[in-house]
Amino acid sequence: MKDLIIQGIEQAYQNLVHMLAEFLPRLVVMLVIVAVGFLVALALKYILRGLLRLTKLDRLSEEAGASHVLRMAALPSITELLSQSVFWVTWSGFVLIGVSVLGVAGLQEQISRLFLLLPAIFVAILILFLGLVTANFLSRAVLLAAVNAGYRSPKLLSWSVRVLVWMFAISMALEEIGIARQTVVAAFSIVFGALMLGMAIAFGLGGRHLARRFLERLLGQKEKEKHEEPQPL
Amino acid sequence: MALRNDNLWYKDAVIYQLHVRTFYDSNADGIGDFPGLTQRLGYLQELGVSALWLMPFYPSPLKDDGYDIADYTSVHPSYGTVQDFKTFLNAAHDRNIRVIVEMVLNHTSDQHPWFQESRSSRDNPKRDWYVWSDTDTKYQGVPIIFVDTEMSNWAWDPISKQYYWHRFFSHQPDLNYDNPAVREAMWQVMKFWLDMGVDGFRLDAVPNLVEREGTRCENLPETHAIIKDYRRRIDLAYPNKMLLAEANQWPTDVISYFGLGDEFHMAFHFPLMPRMFMAVKLEDRKPIIDILEQTPPIPEICQWCIFLRNHDELTLEMVTEIERDYMYDTYATDKAMRINLGIRRRLAPMMENDRRRIELMNGLLLSMPGTPVIYYGDEIGMGDNIYLGDRNGVRTPMQWNGGWNGGFSAADPERLYSPVISNPVYGYQAVNVESQRRSEHSLLNWMRSLIQTRNLFQVFSRGSIEFLDPSNHRVLAYVRQLGGATVLVVNNLSSSAQAVELNLQRYKGHIPIEMFGRNLFPRIGELPYLLTLGPYQFYWFRLRRI
Amino acid sequence: MFLAFSSRAGEQAGNLAEDILLGDDFIRQLMSVGEVDLLIGIPSYNSAITIAQTVRAIEESVHQNFVRDRIVIVNVDGGSTDNTTEVFLESDRRKAFDRRGLTSLRTIHRVSWQYGKTPSLGMAVRTIVAAADLLRARSCAVVSSTTIDLTASWVTNLLRPVHKEKFEYVSPLYARNRYEGLLSRNLLYPMVRAIFGLRMREVYSGEWAFSGRLAAHYLDQDVWAEEPVRARPEGWLAITAMCSGYACCQSFLGQKGAPTVGGVDTVEAIRQTVGNLFWCMERYQEHWLDRVGSQPVPTFGPEHEILNNGAPSNPEKIFELFRTGVAELEPVLASILTQETHRQLNGIASEDAEKFRFGCELLVRALYEFAASYHHAVINRDHIVQALVPLYRGRLYSYLLQHAHSSVEEMQADSELLCLEFERQKPYLIEKWNAKS
Repeated sequence: MKDLIIQGIEQAYQNLVHMLAEFLPRLVVMLVIVAVGFLVALALKYILRGLLRLTKLDRLSEEAGASHVLRMAALPSITELLSQSVFWVTWSGFVLIGVSVLGVAGLQEQISRLFLLLPAIFVAILILFLGLVTANFLSRAVLLAAVNAGYRSPKLLSWSVRVLVWMFAISMALEEIGIARQTVVAAFSIVFGALMLGMAIAFGLGGRHLARRFLERLLGQKEKEKHEEPQPL
Repeated sequence: MALRNDNLWYKDAVIYQLHVRTFYDSNADGIGDFPGLTQRLGYLQELGVSALWLMPFYPSPLKDDGYDIADYTSVHPSYGTVQDFKTFLNAAHDRNIRVIVEMVLNHTSDQHPWFQESRSSRDNPKRDWYVWSDTDTKYQGVPIIFVDTEMSNWAWDPISKQYYWHRFFSHQPDLNYDNPAVREAMWQVMKFWLDMGVDGFRLDAVPNLVEREGTRCENLPETHAIIKDYRRRIDLAYPNKMLLAEANQWPTDVISYFGLGDEFHMAFHFPLMPRMFMAVKLEDRKPIIDILEQTPPIPEICQWCIFLRNHDELTLEMVTEIERDYMYDTYATDKAMRINLGIRRRLAPMMENDRRRIELMNGLLLSMPGTPVIYYGDEIGMGDNIYLGDRNGVRTPMQWNGGWNGGFSAADPERLYSPVISNPVYGYQAVNVESQRRSEHSLLNWMRSLIQTRNLFQVFSRGSIEFLDPSNHRVLAYVRQLGGATVLVVNNLSSSAQAVELNLQRYKGHIPIEMFGRNLFPRIGELPYLLTLGPYQFYWFRLRRI
Repeated sequence: MFLAFSSRAGEQAGNLAEDILLGDDFIRQLMSVGEVDLLIGIPSYNSAITIAQTVRAIEESVHQNFVRDRIVIVNVDGGSTDNTTEVFLESDRRKAFDRRGLTSLRTIHRVSWQYGKTPSLGMAVRTIVAAADLLRARSCAVVSSTTIDLTASWVTNLLRPVHKEKFEYVSPLYARNRYEGLLSRNLLYPMVRAIFGLRMREVYSGEWAFSGRLAAHYLDQDVWAEEPVRARPEGWLAITAMCSGYACCQSFLGQKGAPTVGGVDTVEAIRQTVGNLFWCMERYQEHWLDRVGSQPVPTFGPEHEILNNGAPSNPEKIFELFRTGVAELEPVLASILTQETHRQLNGIASEDAEKFRFGCELLVRALYEFAASYHHAVINRDHIVQALVPLYRGRLYSYLLQHAHSSVEEMQADSELLCLEFERQKPYLIEKWNAKS
């Protein structure tokens, strides 16, 4: 029996060495891939940063108000953000490739699923960014128009617009990634519908006068309002 | 006589206006005469005119170029004798040319025996043959016609110590038409010439015959009655005669002289004439259209008489002040060119000797409704001499050739009744009948061709007129129609090439045939008819449906 | 609006014509007109009620003062639905013969064309300029179809300096009621004067006249598609004339009241005019950055007049709008104004209505900061201009309060003080303008 045990231990030890011998090269390859990936990602980051600086994307973002939001979220500038994103995405890609080389069963499948998800994630991020910019722009536009037209609660209007657009953007992003598609769509519809209904009731009941003024203006009786202020020109 | 029996001959006539004194001198006394004119009838026949209008050739002190008549039934000795006139008249008729003479009804010369008698004393039987007054305050407000020389319509007669009325020069006292004797006397005068065979009278200054207090002494009903009476008498005894009114009035006032076809046969359309000149300078048809649209219709047997220039100044009485100023500024920049609210220049100098413009004006004259009158010398583009005083600048001797006195007379040049135009541009060496006869494309030959073309188509003389209204205002276009004949006339009034689209849908299917070259133009279709014209160019198209 | 153009002899012409801007029908109409001496353009949109009177005034002026000139009146319409163009073409066509039965010396052409289905003043003016170029007009004017005070003498006074004198740009002057035209008086005129150095009062009004050479210059510019020019071309036209060295002048036209049809409301007026002004500042910065002070402009007729009539209604509402505006637009204003200016603005916004004063110094400083922010595009430029509206209202209210019982002379003196303040603070504007963003 002692011999069997020693034989067994020897066999197990040999298997382990065999496994290690098989695994180690893969590990080395993985490490090499990861290292190369790091260098490639870094290069891409610097190239992209340079390109984006040339196109003055920061300036655009500043104008659209996105930079302001990023700053509030303690995020770096858009150029920096994009460059970093590209860096991480690229390097993550290489890391995943490296991990796949390890040959761990089951992991390959998960990794390929993750790879397939990457474009969607990228698009979702883009949607969120655009949504951010649009929300900012529209809410400010609404704020200015409401203030200048003398509407009550212009901030509320402005904030509502911002929230709506955000919600829209978030829903689209989540749908893009595929997380809880049905739930998100349903929830969005419900919230959006409720909001609209609420506004309709509020507008219709509480904002009768406002509604009338709006319609009067629409049907061309603008002179009455204009004469409240002297002719500017 | 070779004359046609046609009581509407004046409608188809092309009239040539001349003064016998200016035309041709046969006896080398420096003054044109009837024998000379008779010799030149061939030229006139060749030109294609069918009637002559002779300016006054009666005995006269010639202080108003013969319109101050001292004897109504004779011929001024400088121009010949009554017999000479008869010879001329018969010769003209032989060549199918009718003769219209002046009949100055309104006034005589103060040298006329009638006035000599009238002024001799207040009791003279002919006293009442003229209009006398103790004061010069009667008929207040009546305008003075010769504003440059006369201060009043009354003149003081030192002999009979009264004022006499004169609408024209003070040496032209007005006859008193309220006196039946005067009316009868003038009828006898007219009879004298009608018996001799003249074909018509141009009745000078006819609006002024009768005076009435509180009026302008023009166009009074009594005047019309007198004329109608003369007309009635002429119609009874003398067929195929014509009465032409010289009434410088607005068309609405002139038409009263046609009566119901029982007064004048013809009358001058004075307001049209300056507007033709204006239109060409403005490069805009508006003045012509405006005046013709305002011209009322006239009785069927009557006819307007149209002209470009005549022996008088180009009168600017029948225009607005703005228009007058424009005409002065554009056609009479030198004040010496202006007289009596008018311009004393000939056609060619006014057109700056631009052959194209001269042709255009003559084209208008011969294609618009009315009987055209061509002033002697304008057919060769004669010039003028504005320094000759009064309106004599446009009454210079006819230029026949480049030789002695322009071929007008064999007399010494100093003896001529008026100097011949002799500058290098319009002088007789440059502008004369003989050189133009020899040059195929001269103005003279062109005029002959124009008159000939017009004479071929009665539509020009008797047809209706309908103005087209293309949006290009520089083009004057109209359609003349008579029976089945249709003529389209298109005139470019501007100095630059023009394109014009004419709405000729009514004549769809017709083929325009250009009347001078007789070439076919594209058939008229649905779309507006596009024509292009060179500077001052005009087209006469016969529209044929074949 | 009156713009007088004349076209050159056509060397650089065709920039607009070659863009196939003008339709075939319009070209055909222009063909019939031919060369003109004077072209008078009338942009219109649903102005059937007033355009007949405009045409009448023009023709009367022509009959009296430009009788020998070749004239065309061009109506460019932005898609009216009330038969404006028909009214334009047919009004007073039946000939009013005078005693002699005659009308004018020359044909006065009327040409009409619809340039689009929606009104755009920039497009209308561009069409007029192109037509003037094609017709080689020596002088041109553009008239508003809705100014009911327009008379023949207006037209004459506007055209004479450019057509008979040697000026190349003519701006109008009016007698205004004391409470009208306050945007011009309190913002546009002082700012234009201080920045561009010429004391031209009515840069953004309804009528202008241009000389021929200037028209060709306008056509060469590639700005007609820009929104500020499409909305309010007249400002750019005036400022271009000023900056390009053309002889400018002003001509007194008459009393101007409020338009009955299509008056512009304050917000829109500010958006268009101030937006245009800031845009022009951007475009012509090399012309004004080193210019100091201002020069008077030759003037025909009396200077700008203020009439002692009229009263504003509901000034309290204006103050309320100012106060609310400053409060609600806090984040927007913070990104436009400096901290100090913003603080001061908040300060005056909390004052009592009866004692409220919006002083010149603060107003000018704030406006210049707005201009600089526009230049640096700290946020969307249109939003910057819109954010100006509450400040204008505040100034308006302050002005109304201050001059409720003032004489006309006092009002004019106050306006002059404001102008001088603008000039005094110009270095500050330049400093902000040139600062790194």
